[in-house]
Amino acid sequence: MLFALLAAPSFIDSLLLKFFSEPTVNYVIWPFIQIGLVVVITTGWVAYATYLERKISAFMQARLGPMRVGPWGLLQPIADGLKLLTKEDFIPENADRWIFFVAPYIAVVAAFIVLAVVPFGPDWAVITDVNIGVLFVLAVSSVGVLALILAGWSSNSKYALLGALRSSAQMVSYEVSMGLAIIGALMFARTLSLSGVVGAQASNSIWFLLYQPVGFMIFLVSGIAENNRAPFDLPEAESELVAGFHTEYSGFRWSLFFMAEYTAMVVVTAVATTLYLGGWYFPFVYRLTEAKGYHNVYVVISLLVFLAKAGLLLYLYFWLRWTLPRFRYDQLMDLGWKWMLPAALINIVITAIGVTVIQGLDNPSGMHTIKSLSAGLGLTASGKVIAIAFGIINLFLTAGVLSLINWRSRDFNLKKQRRQIRLVDLPKGKPAVMPASPGDVVSEARP
Amino acid sequence: MPLVPVPKSTFVQKLKRFFMVDLLKGMAVTLGFNIGALTDKDSVAGKGIYTEQYPKVRPDVAPRFHGAPRLNMDPETHDTLCIACNLCALACPEDCIDVIPMDVEVIVAGKPRRKKVLDEFIFDTSRCMFCALCQEACPTYCLELTQDFELATYSRAGFVWNREMLEQGRETVKYES
Repeated sequence: MLFALLAAPSFIDSLLLKFFSEPTVNYVIWPFIQIGLVVVITTGWVAYATYLERKISAFMQARLGPMRVGPWGLLQPIADGLKLLTKEDFIPENADRWIFFVAPYIAVVAAFIVLAVVPFGPDWAVITDVNIGVLFVLAVSSVGVLALILAGWSSNSKYALLGALRSSAQMVSYEVSMGLAIIGALMFARTLSLSGVVGAQASNSIWFLLYQPVGFMIFLVSGIAENNRAPFDLPEAESELVAGFHTEYSGFRWSLFFMAEYTAMVVVTAVATTLYLGGWYFPFVYRLTEAKGYHNVYVVISLLVFLAKAGLLLYLYFWLRWTLPRFRYDQLMDLGWKWMLPAALINIVITAIGVTVIQGLDNPSGMHTIKSLSAGLGLTASGKVIAIAFGIINLFLTAGVLSLINWRSRDFNLKKQRRQIRLVDLPKGKPAVMPASPGDVVSEARP
Repeated sequence: MPLVPVPKSTFVQKLKRFFMVDLLKGMAVTLGFNIGALTDKDSVAGKGIYTEQYPKVRPDVAPRFHGAPRLNMDPETHDTLCIACNLCALACPEDCIDVIPMDVEVIVAGKPRRKKVLDEFIFDTSRCMFCALCQEACPTYCLELTQDFELATYSRAGFVWNREMLEQGRETVKYES
């Protein structure tokens, strides 16, 4: 069975070549098969990601989660899907009908189209390798904001409009730091192609996470914020905005938004894996399979490695969602513009200095730091040590500079906020007076 | 905002904030529960799943739990053990028991005698507070409050149990596990 599966690509290839010319097979039929597979698998994965999320959240709260549909509730996503398909597709009065219709499709397309350039594995596991892949990912995923704005505007509902405003502001502000965070990794990869980034990590046998801990953290936080997931799920804050931009949607259109959200999550985890966790690269896999001639085994194992890494990151999403409370809106903007953006900029500067230092140290007489420049920045062992050291120094330097920049600003620490309020309200040197009862407060303490 | 004297954070506190110790602690708690749900099967360490699959798996009630009333019968003759002495009705603080006796002719040692036997037994479970004083008062261990807890009905009249219900028990839907 497994052998048949592994032999399948070459078999289908020879079968197709009997009917079509070689360019047709290579550039039309194979991509269609790949696209079909990716769409089907991603849709199924998205459906079961909802199941997983419900299960994991239940386990974290000592509950069982869905249990009634099928064994262990495994058919729950199918039941949910059927329910959503049979529900009424409600359109609110005075809604802008066409925009209301189109918005969910934009959301889904923007989320799904990124999967075209994600390298799931080597060789035939990539749909297409665009040489500006990273740029493409950033550009297309920011189109998703458009869908939210259109949905919120066309719904003719105050909650939807407020949710759309919030989410668009949030996505725009976090996209900046996300884009800047990537640059650090690209300095080591020396290419914008996502396959090239993985290739650079594979040929150096290293994950860029080691060079770029700060970049990875910024990318993850920005990614979570860009996907409007908890703790940054302000656009969907149930307690304030009912359901945010998709308040007025129901049935199939609502499920499209839901699918778009989960697909966007899958996309961000896939891109984070590609850029920082080595993509499909895992030590020893190449030497044990490809070098011995088992090409398809190599591709499939690499594919599984990629899925495992992306799955781990997806678990992090669920984990964070069920651990952290929601941020306040000002805290969210504060984090985005005062912490994430400067951190990303500092990361770029320090990484650039690090790369320059490594290149400067490489001379024929003394140290030998650079192996080759053919696939990414090929470093020798000493070069790697220097790069990793720069990464760790980067962590502390970034934290130091950030606290220097933000030393006067209110931050997330409620204690510190209270202290600052006390310092503003009271003359210096006088200790604060504890209020006699919870009822009477500031008034008599003021001069 | 109330004025609360807040001490300046110490170096250790600052260090904790820098390494996000509180965040990691919170994440450790949720991860612990997640792992506990998968490994701690019977909730031995207190991190397992608390949910009971109720209609499928019936919970174990406490040993001294008082639930639905029952009139016990003689296991051999299947006659009721109740002697219609009315002690339970007298003991009941809520007056929810009605014992209706009747006289029957029996022949004892060749002579016809009149004997008081139980005709009907009315037990209003909507007024019962399950104190089990009736059970204490019963001289023949006939009336007993069992461990059965499913007493809900669709109507107010359904709460009033007659003799047949008390002796046979009420029919409830049982789900297979």
